[in-house]
Amino acid sequence: MDFATIMQYAGWPLIKIVILLIPVFTVVAYMVWFERRLLAFFQSRLGPNRVGPLGLIQPIADGLKLFLKEDLVPMNSRPFLFKIAPIFAFFPAFVGFAIVSWALPWVTPSGKVHPFVVADVDLGILFVLALSSLSIFGIILAGWSSGSKYPLFGSLRSASQMLAYEVPMTLSVVAVVLLAGSFRLSDIVAAQEKLGWYYLFPGILAFGVYLVSAVAESNRVPFDLPEGESEIIGFHTEYSGMRFAWYFVGEYANVTLISVLGTTMFLGGYDIPFVNDAALYAAHPELTSVLGVCAFAAKAALFAVFFIWIRATWPRYRYDQLLKIGWIVLLPIALANLVLVALLKLWLLR
Amino acid sequence: MAVNEQAEKVSPLREIMETREIELNLGPQHPATHGVYRALVRLDGERVLGMESVIGYLHRGIEKWAEYRTWQQATPIFDRLDYVGAVLNCHGYVGAVEKLLNVEVPKRAQYIRVILDELQRIASHLVWLGTHGLDIGAQSVLFYAIREREAIMDLFEAMLGQRLLPNAYPIGGVRFDFPKGWVEVCRQFLEIFPKRIDEYEGLLTGNRIWRQRTIGVGVISAKDAIALSLSGPTLRGSGVNFDVRKAIPYSSYEDFDFEIPLGQNGDVFDRYLCRVREMRQSVRIIKQALDGMPEGELRGKVGKIIRPPAGEAYYTIEAAKGQLGFYIVSDGSDKPFRVHVKSPSFVNLQGIETMCKGNLIADVVAVIGSLDIVLGEVDR
Repeated sequence: MDFATIMQYAGWPLIKIVILLIPVFTVVAYMVWFERRLLAFFQSRLGPNRVGPLGLIQPIADGLKLFLKEDLVPMNSRPFLFKIAPIFAFFPAFVGFAIVSWALPWVTPSGKVHPFVVADVDLGILFVLALSSLSIFGIILAGWSSGSKYPLFGSLRSASQMLAYEVPMTLSVVAVVLLAGSFRLSDIVAAQEKLGWYYLFPGILAFGVYLVSAVAESNRVPFDLPEGESEIIGFHTEYSGMRFAWYFVGEYANVTLISVLGTTMFLGGYDIPFVNDAALYAAHPELTSVLGVCAFAAKAALFAVFFIWIRATWPRYRYDQLLKIGWIVLLPIALANLVLVALLKLWLLR
Repeated sequence: MAVNEQAEKVSPLREIMETREIELNLGPQHPATHGVYRALVRLDGERVLGMESVIGYLHRGIEKWAEYRTWQQATPIFDRLDYVGAVLNCHGYVGAVEKLLNVEVPKRAQYIRVILDELQRIASHLVWLGTHGLDIGAQSVLFYAIREREAIMDLFEAMLGQRLLPNAYPIGGVRFDFPKGWVEVCRQFLEIFPKRIDEYEGLLTGNRIWRQRTIGVGVISAKDAIALSLSGPTLRGSGVNFDVRKAIPYSSYEDFDFEIPLGQNGDVFDRYLCRVREMRQSVRIIKQALDGMPEGELRGKVGKIIRPPAGEAYYTIEAAKGQLGFYIVSDGSDKPFRVHVKSPSFVNLQGIETMCKGNLIADVVAVIGSLDIVLGEVDR
C-alpha cells in the first residue's frame, strides 16, 4: 500500500472526523446554552447570563461540574450494562453526522475533489435511520439495568414510543427518497436544486410527519415521555456525573442531527436560497462553499428554534395518546403522502 | 379477573412470562406531589389499580402548639398551615376567636379583610395554576403566574410588612389602614390582571394537548364528592353549588355581587376552569370592595389581654382550597384550651383514590395538581 491509498482510506477521513467533531461538539454544547436563554426569554426570565459575557462560558462550567461529580452506581443495578448504556445514547447521534453533506465539494487547484462530507455513503439516509434506532438501546438498557422502578417505566415508555414514531418517520423519509431518486444526502440536495423547489412544498405532508416524529425521536416536549420529569423522573434517574452528561449530550446531538437531516431533506440543505448556486459555484467555488455552510446552519437553526418554541408552549402528551397519534394519525398520513408523492413523481416531476 | 385467571391457566408461557403488579412509591420526594405527600400506587403497567395516601411527613403539631400560646400569640402559627394562602388561615382563626368573644368587627375592617382575602385567593390560585401546568408539562405558565403573584406579594409587603406569611389580622379587626398610594397600585393590578388570565387561558384552555390531558381524567361525581365532604373548587368542579361566601356569608360577603363558577363533569379540566374563573370573580369582588369602602374604625373593642368566656366556637370561611373551619374551645384562660382545624386540603385529598383508580400514572400527577393540596395544611 502506498501513502496515497492510506491517506485516501484512513488519513483524510480521520482528519475530516476531527474537523467535524470539534464544531459539532461546540454546537451541541451551545445548543444547551441557546435553549436555556431562548426558553428564558419566552418565560420572562433572563436565563444563564453570569458565567462569561452573555453566559457564554456556562456550557463549559456545566461540563466541568458534571465531570467532577461522583460516578454513582446503584447497589441494585447491573453494573456492566449500567455503565455501557450511556455510550449507546450519544454514540449513534455523533456517528450520524458522518454522512451529512455540508457544502458543495471543494476542488483543489490541482484538480482534486474534496467533498465536504466524512463518508458520502450510498444509502446515507438509511444508515442514519438504522443508527438512530440503535440509540433507543441506551434508554432501554439504562432503565433495565438501574434496578429502580422509575427508570424502568421510562425505558418501557421509550420502547413502545419508538415503535409508534419510527415507522411514520421512515415513511416520510421514503417520500423524500422517492422524489430525489437517491438515498445519498448530496444527491437529495442536488435534486432539490435541480427541481428549483425545496421538498418542503411537494412533500409538505411528509415534512409535517417528519417534524412530529422528530420531536418524538429526540424525546422532547410534548413527547418527552421517557423523561417525563414530573411523572416518572426519567430513565436516567439513577445516573450522575459524566454518565448523565452523556445522555444529555446525546439528546442535544440528536436534536442537532435531526435538524440537520430535516434541513437536508426538506429545506434544500446547503443550497443558498434565491441564488443560482451552479452559476455562483462556477465563478467563486470557495465563496459558494462558505455561504452554503452558513445557509445550512441558518436553516438548521430554524429547526432548533422550532423545537425550543414548542417546548415553551405545549404541555406533555400522555403515553397512550402518543401511541394513538403515531399509529392512527401519523401512519395513515405518511402512507397517503407516499402514494401522493409517487403519483406526483409519475406525472409532474419527471 | 376470572378471564385473566382462565387465560393464565391455559397459557404455557405463564411459567416464564409471569406478569405481576408493581407497587410504586410516589413520593415523599417526588417533583409532582407538591410537598412531602406519599402515594403508594399499585400499578398494572402504567394503569393504576389502587392507591393509598400516606401523609404526616410535614406534621408540626400546630394545633397543640397553639395551646401553649396566648390567643393573640397563636395567630401567626396558623399562617403556616397553608403557606400559599396565609392570610385566609389567619382570617379563619381570628374569626373564630371573635365569634367566641362576641366582638363586632367594624365594617371598614371587614371590607379590608375581603380585599386582602381575595388577593390571597388569587395568589394561591396562581401558585396552583403554575405548578399544575408544570406537572402536565406546560412550563411557561409557571413563570407567568409567578410574575403576577409577585405583584400581589408586593402589595402585601406594602400593606402588612411581610410577603408570604404576613400575620395579617389581629383579633378584632385589621392592624393597618391602606398606606398612601396602595389603592391606586391595587387598582392598576386589577386592570392588568384579567388580561393576564386571558394569556394563561390562551396557553391552556383551548390547547388540544391540555384538553386531552385533562378532560375526562380524574372524574368524581357530585354524589361521591359530597359523600367525601370535598369542598372548594374541587367540589364545585363536580357541579355542586356550595361556597361558604354565599352559603354562610361572613365578613360582609353578602354585600358583593359575584358568581360561583361551576363545572359539570367533575374532571381535572372542570376543576381547572373553576379556579381560573374564580380568579376573575375575585377581581370583581376586590373592585366592588375598593369602590364601596366605608369609613370608620379599624378594630373592634378588644382588650390587651384576651380571655374569652369558657365555651366553644366554630367559624368557617372559604379558603382558596375549600372550606376552612376553626373549632376552638376556651376554658376562660388567656390560652386556647383546644384548637382544631378542618383543613380543606386534608379533606380534599380523600378524593384522590376515587379519582385515580383506572387512570394512568401520568393522570395521577394531573389529579394531584387539580386537587391543589398544600401539605402544610394536610399534616398541620
